[in-house]
Amino acid sequence: MTSASWSMMLVVSVNVILFHAMPRFSRPDILFAVTVPEAFAAGAGRTLVARYRAIVWSGAAAALAIGLLLPAFLPGSGRGALLAMGPVAGNMIVALAAWLWAHRKARAHAVPPSDVRVASLVPRDTSLPGGTLFAVGPFAILLATALLVYTYRDGVPDGPGTITSFLALGGVYVAMTLIMAVSMARRTRQIAVDGPAAAAEQRFRSVNVLSLVLVGYGIAIQQSAMTIESIPAFGDTLSGSVGFVMLPLMLINFGIIFWMFRVGQGGQRAVAPAARREVHGDATPDDAWKVGGLFYFNPRDPAIWVENRIGPGYGLNMGNPRAWLLIAGMMLVPMIASRLLF
Amino acid sequence: MASALRVSLNLESPIPAYRQIANDLRRHLVEERLKPGDLLPPIRQLALDLGVHFNTVALAYRMLADEGWLELKRRRGAAVIERNAPRAVDRRQVDHLLRQLAHIAAELRSVGMTSRQISSALRRLAQGARP
Repeated sequence: MTSASWSMMLVVSVNVILFHAMPRFSRPDILFAVTVPEAFAAGAGRTLVARYRAIVWSGAAAALAIGLLLPAFLPGSGRGALLAMGPVAGNMIVALAAWLWAHRKARAHAVPPSDVRVASLVPRDTSLPGGTLFAVGPFAILLATALLVYTYRDGVPDGPGTITSFLALGGVYVAMTLIMAVSMARRTRQIAVDGPAAAAEQRFRSVNVLSLVLVGYGIAIQQSAMTIESIPAFGDTLSGSVGFVMLPLMLINFGIIFWMFRVGQGGQRAVAPAARREVHGDATPDDAWKVGGLFYFNPRDPAIWVENRIGPGYGLNMGNPRAWLLIAGMMLVPMIASRLLF
Repeated sequence: MASALRVSLNLESPIPAYRQIANDLRRHLVEERLKPGDLLPPIRQLALDLGVHFNTVALAYRMLADEGWLELKRRRGAAVIERNAPRAVDRRQVDHLLRQLAHIAAELRSVGMTSRQISSALRRLAQGARP
C-alpha cells in the first residue's frame, strides 16, 4: 500500500470515530442538535442514534473499500492523490448527510424553549484556571528564548523574515489564544443555576479554558525550540527532546477530549438526573442553530460563546458582533503581524 | 450568601424584564437574604445568564441603587449596602403603589376572591410569605 492509502485509511478511521461519538458529546436532553425530552433521548432516540451510526460506519466501510480497491483497477494512473481524497471526501459527505437526516428526524420530537429564565445571584468565578501567572507562562517561555537569542545575537541573523520574527509571531499567536481563553471564561452562559449541575458546568468551562491555555504553551514551546535550534551555539542539542515536552501536552488535550466524551456538554452526563431536573437543554433556541446545529446565529443573545451542539466545547454566536470582532482579530492580527515581520 | 439566591425572568410576562429583575432582587433584599456587604454578579454576567441585553440588568441595578439598596461598582457589579432605615416615607411613591394595589385588588375580586381572602393574602405577603 502507498503512503496515500495509509493516510486515507487514517483520516477515514478518525472521521468515523468522531462522527460515531458525536451524539454522545451533547447534553443528555439534546439529540442531534435538537432539544428533546430526556426520556426520548434515553429511549426511542437510541434507535435513531443506532441508525445514524449504521449509516456512518457503512459510508466509512464503502470509502475504505473504494479507496483500497480502486488503485488495483487503475494501476499507475498517476492519480494517487485523487484516489486518496475521493474516498475521504465521500466518507465526510455520507457522515454529514447522516447527521442532517437524524437532525430532521429529531426535530419532530423537539420541545419548545422555556419562557422562564433563571440565573444565580451568586457571582461566579471567571478567573483563568491555574491563575494569571500560569496563563502568562507561555509569554515567559518566549521571553526567556528572546533573552537567549539576545545573548547569542552575534550568531543569529536579525531583521524581517528571520527566526526572531518567527519568535515574535509566536507571541502574537499565544496572545490570541489567551484572549480566547479570557473571553471564554467570562462570556459563556451559566445554564444550571446552582447545585451539582452548576458545579459540573463550571468545571467543564474551566477545562475548556485550560485546554486553550495549554495550546498557548504548545505554541510557545514549539516556537522556542525552533528558535533555539537556529542558534549555532546550540545546534542540534534540542533534537528530539522537544517531543518529550509536546507529547504530554498532546496527551493532556486528548485526555480532555475523552473526558468531554464521557461527561457530555456542560459536564451534565456526569450529574445525577435528580440534580439536573431543573436544567433543560442549553438555554439556546433550536431555531437559532443553523445547518443541522453547526452554527449558532442569535443576534438577541448577548453570549459570545455557547456550547457546541456538534462536537465538544464551545463555539461562537455568529449573531453577536463581538464574536465577529474576535474572529476578525484572530485572522487579521496574525496576518498583519506576518506582513510586518516577514 | 445563600446558594439558592436566584432571579427569574418570564419572557411572556407583561411586566418589563428590568422590573422583573428588580422585583426579585428587592424581595431578596427586603427578606434579608441579601445582606449588606454581599456582592451581586457583574451586570454583563447576569445579563448573559438571563439572555437579556446588558442595559436591562443595568437598569434594574440602577433602580435599586436609587432606592438605596445597592452601590454600583465599576466592572464588579453591585454591592448591597446598609440602607438608612427607616427611610423617610415618599408619599408620592406610596400613593402610586397603593393605586396599583387597588387595581390588583379589583382584579382579584373580579376573578372571584372575597375581600376577606384578599386582606388575608395581603397580610401573609406583607409578612414575607410567597404567593
